[in-house]
Amino acid sequence: MADPKYAALFLAESREHLRTCNQLLLDWERTPGASEPVNGLFRAIHNIKGMAATLGYGPVADLAHRAENVLDTIRGGRTTITPDLIQLLFRSVDALEKAVEGAAAGKGEPSARLLAALDRAGAGGSGPEQTGADGSSREPTGVGGDPALARSRPLPSAPAPAARPPARPPGHLVGVTIRSGTPMRGARALLALRRVEAFGKVTALRPPATAFEREDFDGRFSFHLRTDTAPAEIEAAIRAAGEVEAVAFDANVAVETEGPVVAARQIRVDLSRLDAMMKLVGELVVARNRLLDLARGDDTELQEVAGSVSRLVGGLQTQVVAARMTPVSEVFDRFPRLVRDLARDLGKQIRFEMEGGAIELDRSILDELGDPLLHLIRNAADHGLESADDRQATGKAAEGRILLSAIRERRTVAIRVSDDGRGIDRAAVLARAKRDGLADAAVETLTDDVLLRVLSRPGFSTARQVSGISGRGVGVEVALARARAMGGSLEVQTEQGRGTTFTLRVPLTLAIVRALLAQAGEERYAVPLAYVAETVEFDPRAVTALRSREALVVRERVIPTVHLRDLVAAKGNGLPARRPTIILEVGERRTALVVDALLGQQDIVIEPFDAPRGLPSYLGGATILADGAPALILDAAALV
Amino acid sequence: MSHTVLVCDDAIFMRTMISDILNQAGFDVVGEAESGLQAVQKYRELKPDLVTMDIVMPDMGGIEAVREICKQDPDAKILMCSAMGQQALVVEAIQAGAKDFVVKPFQPSRVLEAVQRVLG
Repeated sequence: MADPKYAALFLAESREHLRTCNQLLLDWERTPGASEPVNGLFRAIHNIKGMAATLGYGPVADLAHRAENVLDTIRGGRTTITPDLIQLLFRSVDALEKAVEGAAAGKGEPSARLLAALDRAGAGGSGPEQTGADGSSREPTGVGGDPALARSRPLPSAPAPAARPPARPPGHLVGVTIRSGTPMRGARALLALRRVEAFGKVTALRPPATAFEREDFDGRFSFHLRTDTAPAEIEAAIRAAGEVEAVAFDANVAVETEGPVVAARQIRVDLSRLDAMMKLVGELVVARNRLLDLARGDDTELQEVAGSVSRLVGGLQTQVVAARMTPVSEVFDRFPRLVRDLARDLGKQIRFEMEGGAIELDRSILDELGDPLLHLIRNAADHGLESADDRQATGKAAEGRILLSAIRERRTVAIRVSDDGRGIDRAAVLARAKRDGLADAAVETLTDDVLLRVLSRPGFSTARQVSGISGRGVGVEVALARARAMGGSLEVQTEQGRGTTFTLRVPLTLAIVRALLAQAGEERYAVPLAYVAETVEFDPRAVTALRSREALVVRERVIPTVHLRDLVAAKGNGLPARRPTIILEVGERRTALVVDALLGQQDIVIEPFDAPRGLPSYLGGATILADGAPALILDAAALV
Repeated sequence: MSHTVLVCDDAIFMRTMISDILNQAGFDVVGEAESGLQAVQKYRELKPDLVTMDIVMPDMGGIEAVREICKQDPDAKILMCSAMGQQALVVEAIQAGAKDFVVKPFQPSRVLEAVQRVLG
C-alpha cells in the first residue's frame, strides 16, 4: 500500500469521479426529480470511499461515507430534495476534492460543521445551514422528524440561477448504424451527420465526434436533432450519405447513457513522458532537416537513407503530436460549476453554454488556457452581464447568457467567450484612458483593436470597486499575455447594450511548427504557416494608400503593407529586383509582409525564449534552422 | 450534356485509372492536376462540375486544396480519394468541405456510386 503507484491511481481516479459528481450535481439541479444523477453520484462517491479506505485515507473515507449516507437516504425517498440539500452536496464535493488532493500528504480534513450537516441530512431530513443566498432558504425546509411537514414542503420553485425546468426540445432522437464492412465508418458517419445538420441543431452526439476518427468505431451513433422535419425526410437525407444500414427514431433508439465514451484500449500516460517525447522528437526533426540538407549531394545511398529517416521521423512526429492532443472539454468542463457558483454569489441569472468541446489541442497549450478563460468568464459574469432587473428594464430576458465555444480554423483554434450583456462602454474606457495618459486627448472613438490594447494595460480597470472577482483589466491583461506567450492572439468585439465577445486564438500544437522562411537583408526569419494566407509578388502597380499608409491590392482586397527590411532595419545592398510578399492572416485581419526572398518551408522547433527587455513585439521566438544557423520567429499577431 | 470532371492525383497511374472509369461511364474528364496547387488553379480555369482529389500530394496537399477551392466556391463538389488507414485525414477533408470519399484500391462501381451521391 505504500507503493506510490496506488496513490497516483487513487488521485487520478478520484479526480475523474469528482468531475463526474460536479457534472451530475449540475444536471440534477436542473431536473431535481430525476433519479439518474443520484445513482451516478452514489456510485462515484462509493468508489472514492472504497479506494480511500483501502489506502487508509481516513478523512476522505469518512467524508465520502457520510455523503454516501445522504445519497442513500435520498434514493430511499426518505428525505425531500431542496436547493439547500443540493448545495450541501456541492460543498461536500468541494470538500472531497480538497481531502483527496491532500490525502497523500495527510491534510485536507473536512470541517466539523460540514460533517455535522451531512449527518443531519443523512438521518432523513435536510440539514442545511442558513445560507440565505437565495431567499428560499431563510427557514429550514423539510425538517426531519415531522413527516407531515416534510411532505407539505415540496421543492420550492425559487428563482435559483441555474434551475430551470427543462424544456422538451422539439425534434427527434436519431440512431444510425453504418453498414459493417464499410471502409472508414467514422468518415461515413460524419457525412451522414453533415446531411442532417441542414435540418436543425444536433446535440447529445454519442459517441462524441472524436470517436469517429478511431479505427475501432463500430459504426453506431445517436444524436438529438432539433427540427420540425418529418422522420422520413431525415432518414432519406441520412441514407443519401451512403452505406447506411439502419436509421431508428426516438423510442427505438438505444442510447448509451454513460458519460463520455472511455474506450477499453487506453492507458494512462504521465504527461511528463509525453513532454519528454515531444522534446526528443523536436530535436530529431531539427537533426532530420540538417541531414536532408547535407544529403543533397551526389551520394544516392545517403539520399535514400536520409529519405527513409525523414519519413520515419515525420511519422513519429505525427504520432507524438496526436498523442498529446486532448479535447478542450477537459478544460471547459470545470466552467459550468464555476459559473453556477458565480451566479449565486453575484445574485444574477446566468445561462452558460458550451460548444465545440470535442475539438482537440495540444495538452500543454490546453493547460495554459484554463487561467485566461477563467478570467474572461468571470469578467463576463461580473462586468458583462447586468442584473436581472437591469436586463428586463432594457427589454432583455432576465437570464443572461455566456457562451464558451471552440472552433477549428486552418491551423489554429479560436476560443470565444461571449456574453449578451451591457457591452464595454467605449466612452468610459476612453475617458479613463485619457485621464491615465494612455490615450491622446484628440482621439474620438476607440476601435476594437485599440480598445483591447487599453483594456490590457496592467492595472487598468473601470470597475468602481475591485471586487473579489477580478476587475476587467487584470483578466484581459492575463489573457493577452498568455495568448501571446503561446504564439496566439486575443481580440475583442463589443457593442454597447448588446454584449461582448473575446476571441482567444491559439495554434494547434506548440513545439514543432511548419514555418515559411524569409530573408531580409542578411538575416532569416520564420513565419509560422498557421498565419500565412498566401504569398504574392509585390507589384508596384498594385500599390495604393489606405489611411495614409502604403497598401497593396491583392485580389480586390486592400491590405496594408509592412516592409520587413525597414522593420528590422536590415543592412543589405540595394533592393532585390523582385520582392515576394507574405500575406499574414490572424482572424479577420491581414497584413502584406514584403521580404527580400522566400526560402521555402521548414518544420521548426520553437525554442523556449527568454525575451530580453525592449525586444520588439513583432519577434515571437527563436529557432535553429536545418543548416544549424539561428533564425528569429516573427509574431504574426503583432504585425497585423 | 455530360458532367465535367477535374482529376487530381500525383500518380499518372491513378489519374489514368480514374479518368477511364469516369469517361467510360459518360463523364467528361476535362482536366488533370498533379498537386494541390495545380488543382486550385485548374479549378479556377475549368470550373468543373466535380473534382476527384487525392489526399497526399506535393506542393499543397489535397486537404489544403479542398479548403482553397471551397473558399472560392462554397458549392464545389469534391470527392476525396484516400488510401486505407487514413480515416483521420478523410475526416479532416470532409470538415474542410469534401462531399464524399472513396478508398483505394478502387472498385469502379463504388467510385461511380460516390460520384452520383456527390452530384446529387
